[in-house]
Amino acid sequence: MELVDYLPIALLTLLGIAFAGVSLVLARVLAPSNPTPEKLAPYECGIVPLQEPVQRFPVKFYLVAMLFVIFDVEIIFLFLWAVRMDQFGWAGIATVVAFMLMLIETLAYAWKRGALDWNVSHRTRTRRVVAPEATIEKAA
Amino acid sequence: MGNASYLAVAFEGILLIGALVVLLVAVVAGRSRAVWAPIAGASFLLAALAGVLQWIEVENGGGGMFFSAQNLQVIKSPMVVLDGFSAMASIVLGLVGFTAMLGSWDLVAKVGKRSAEFVALSLLAFAGLHMMAATPNLVVIFIGLETASISFYVLAGFIRADVKSDESALKYFLLGSLASALFLYGIALTFAATGSLTIYGVNSIRDFFSETVVSDPGILLVGMALMLVGLMFKISAAPFHQWAPDVYQGAPSGAVGLMAAGVKIAGFAALGRIFVGGFISQIDTWGPIVAVIAALSMVIGTTMALVQTDMKRLVAYSGVAHSGYLLLTLLAGVEGMSAMWFYLATYPFMIVGTFAIISTVSGPTSTSSPIEAMRGLSRRSPEMGWLLAIFMFGMSGMPFFAGFVGKILAFIAAGDAGYIWLVVVATLTTVIGFAFYLRVVATVFSGEDDDTTMIDPTLSSRFAVVIGATVTVVFGIVPWILIDVVRDALPL
Amino acid sequence: MTLTISWFLILAAALFSIGVAGVLIRRNALVMFMSIELMLNSVNLTFVAVSRELGLIEGQVAALFVMVVAAAEVTIGLAIIVAVFRRKASANVDELAELRG
Repeated sequence: MELVDYLPIALLTLLGIAFAGVSLVLARVLAPSNPTPEKLAPYECGIVPLQEPVQRFPVKFYLVAMLFVIFDVEIIFLFLWAVRMDQFGWAGIATVVAFMLMLIETLAYAWKRGALDWNVSHRTRTRRVVAPEATIEKAA
Repeated sequence: MGNASYLAVAFEGILLIGALVVLLVAVVAGRSRAVWAPIAGASFLLAALAGVLQWIEVENGGGGMFFSAQNLQVIKSPMVVLDGFSAMASIVLGLVGFTAMLGSWDLVAKVGKRSAEFVALSLLAFAGLHMMAATPNLVVIFIGLETASISFYVLAGFIRADVKSDESALKYFLLGSLASALFLYGIALTFAATGSLTIYGVNSIRDFFSETVVSDPGILLVGMALMLVGLMFKISAAPFHQWAPDVYQGAPSGAVGLMAAGVKIAGFAALGRIFVGGFISQIDTWGPIVAVIAALSMVIGTTMALVQTDMKRLVAYSGVAHSGYLLLTLLAGVEGMSAMWFYLATYPFMIVGTFAIISTVSGPTSTSSPIEAMRGLSRRSPEMGWLLAIFMFGMSGMPFFAGFVGKILAFIAAGDAGYIWLVVVATLTTVIGFAFYLRVVATVFSGEDDDTTMIDPTLSSRFAVVIGATVTVVFGIVPWILIDVVRDALPL
Repeated sequence: MTLTISWFLILAAALFSIGVAGVLIRRNALVMFMSIELMLNSVNLTFVAVSRELGLIEGQVAALFVMVVAAAEVTIGLAIIVAVFRRKASANVDELAELRG
């Protein structure tokens, strides 16, 4: 493959960078700038923030998201079979059905263990306080 | 081919079906641990039986290579190989898995409704371990390695109430994934240099060596080195051993025996398959590197074990030294394979038995087990005390125990290959090693009446320990029974 | 000037080296973990490039298998990191020193 074939992609990349850069520069030049400490605060009215807000780890949908990733990627194996489906015949179909049954069984197990029920798992999790000793130490 | 092609994958098939049945029972019937015990035990024993059938088939000349789908011309390279090597791996992994599962049963009884996962993961892990021994395809070896490794990461962090267990799992995961990635890049570079992912068959890596000139020896050299490093990580050979003591100490005592024994067997089986089966013509290139790693493992493992105060760390460092002794057998090439299988058929039973005792003394969910906890074990539980002494004698290489015969065979293999200096190092480290093994034995038999709480081992751990000790003693006194068998455990 | 296989191999080697450096130097478990994923993907690039160059299908199949393995590793790895993070409120591996070593 010739490098010249990649010219449109390179042009598009340059165009994108140029557009973003020009927009930023124009906004900086044209917009009126009159900063005051109040304006730079996160909230212009209300109490003054004492510290940075705690970065919470959003784990609510984590379990479901991970299960999705697993089952999503496993489908790649079906792709391999589908490309040569006519050649594999009934043996291929039997293999794929067995494979799918295994996936379904693991999904059923995850379901049974409550991995898909994010409301219940969320409630049980909030009851467990995140690293209490660390929080107490920081507050003290 | 007919039946034989199914026989070649029987070990994996049986364990997979066992794991699926366990999960199915858990889904349908909820928590019923009593049902999983026979399923897990039967799976491992049936898998070992399949190994025996494979062995008979190979003895009758029925071995060979098998393809994923026989009538298709999509992929021409074989995916499964049935030879003495893979049949021996089936037998050993099946029996060690059965014994280790017995030793882990105290932990299974403790983890409540998650016990189905524990059993299923163990079964799947052993299926993956055998894949590493029974395939000529490097990518399939990688998949087997990852199946086992990922299961073991979970087992290491199984006790979520303990921060040490979490930490152990994280360390194992990060370093283990790094090793897997290095191994995989080695495969990719070998593929780039030779255009083949298979060790046997048409256009295999071996053909490549015998028929053509290596077009780019540099890339191939890097590929081989990376594969070697990746597997050395897994078998915890120095200088890639730092994870092992931490992981052994932090993981729940009940699960370590399973992990440690399984990875040792399969790691060396994969080393044998790749380097003795595939790269044997390059032995002058990788031999000296393996020799240096072996020497480092023996020296570092032995010296570090001398200063340990934790039983699990001590066994981990002794495992580093044992990796060194096992590496000696690789240096002899095909002639060394029988010595390797003798070692692999006896040493894992000692690991499993030792960890079953640690799990009994310190509790199956414990994450540390000081050697002092063993004080007076000979009175608190006479059978456990005596059997721990047997395992320590076995590991140290005392005559009339299996470890002695294994070491002698390994030394002979290295001597035949011309590495006399390595044999000298190995002999010296063995002698030094007696110090810490005997220290444990002394602790077991010492202590007057400071602690007389009796320990009552469960039936399952009793069985595990007795099986382990039987193997250690029987093959130490009449080793020729096993030597005659492993003589045929050769790669194709 | 043509785009030969060596370009892809060099790119893959560079990515792999960046990944190794990331695992060895960075101390945040999540970043180390991402570096490992980078290593696996650079291997995929090698597989696919070699596969195309030599006209073999095996490399492409290998890449697909590696992707599935990587996904399984992601799931387990994130689960372990989340478990550690919940307990320690930190993903820095240097703060994990319960075990000697």
